[in-house]
Amino acid sequence: MILDSLILQSKLFFTEDMGIEIDDITQNEKSVDLNLKSHTAMIGVGGELNMMVVISFDTPMLDKIIEVFMEGEDVAPEEKEEITESVTGEVLNTIIGLAIPTFPKRGKGVTITPPISISDASSIKKNKNSKILTANIKTRYGELSISAVIANKVLP
Amino acid sequence: MLKILIVDDSLIIRKKITTIVEKLGHEVVGQAKTGREAIEIYEGAKPDLVTMDITMPDMDGITAVKHIIEMDKNAKIIMVTSHGQEDMVIDSIKAGAVGYILKPITDEKLAEIIGEVFLKYACNEDEDDLELSDDDL
Repeated sequence: MILDSLILQSKLFFTEDMGIEIDDITQNEKSVDLNLKSHTAMIGVGGELNMMVVISFDTPMLDKIIEVFMEGEDVAPEEKEEITESVTGEVLNTIIGLAIPTFPKRGKGVTITPPISISDASSIKKNKNSKILTANIKTRYGELSISAVIANKVLP
Repeated sequence: MLKILIVDDSLIIRKKITTIVEKLGHEVVGQAKTGREAIEIYEGAKPDLVTMDITMPDMDGITAVKHIIEMDKNAKIIMVTSHGQEDMVIDSIKAGAVGYILKPITDEKLAEIIGEVFLKYACNEDEDDLELSDDDL
C-alpha cells in the first residue's frame, strides 16, 4: 500500500506538474541490495510509520526535471551541484508530502525528516531484518526508482 | 508591489518562488536558508510578506514565525509546506502565520494565497478605519 501511494503520487507529480510522460512502471520487492542511479536522495519517515524512502535518478531524467523547475533559465556552473541536490531532495519531499494523506490513518502522526542527498554511492545494503520495495519508472528522458526500505519486524 | 522575503533551505525552491514573485510584479527583498537567518533579514528588510518553509536546519519555520511575530505582530507569513499534514500547518497558524501553500508551488497557487492574505487584511483595515470614524463621531 505504501509503495502504491508513492507510485501514484510520483505518476501525478511527473505527468501533471513536470509534464513528463511515463512510459512504464515495474515493481519489485528486493531481496538483495538496492542499486542506486547517478543522483539519489533519501527521507526518513517516522512516527506512526517507520521507513526510509529513497529516490534515485538517471542524469538525463534529473536534467529534464531541473529544466522544468528552472522554467528555461540557465543554471550557473557554480550553482549546478547545489541545484542538483536541491531538486533531487525537493522532488522526493513533494512526492512523500503528497502521499502522506493516502497512508494508513490518512498519515496522521507521520513525520518526515529533511531530505538527504547521497553522492558517490552505488547501492544500499539490505539488512536481514529489512525489505526493500522498489518501483522503476521509465520515461523518454531516462529512469528513476523510488523505494521504501521497511523493517520486516520491529526491532527492540 | 509587495516586498517579499523568501525563507527555504532548498535553493531550487527559493529560485522558483523568486521567479513567480517577480512575474507577479513583486520585489524579493531577501532570501534566507534557515529560520535564524530569516529573523535577522526580517529586522532589516521589513518585508510586507514572508514565504516560510517549515522543515529547515538550524531553526524550523514554526519557531521562526514565533520570533518574527514577537518582533512584529502584524507580520504576514505564509507557510510553504509539502507535508500535507494538518498538525504542522495548525501549529504555524497558532504561531501567527496567516496562510499556507502546499508544494508543488505554482504561479496560480502563490498568486491566490497572496491575493487572499492582502484582501483579508485590506478588509480588516477598512473595518478599523470605520471604527475610528465612529469614535470620531
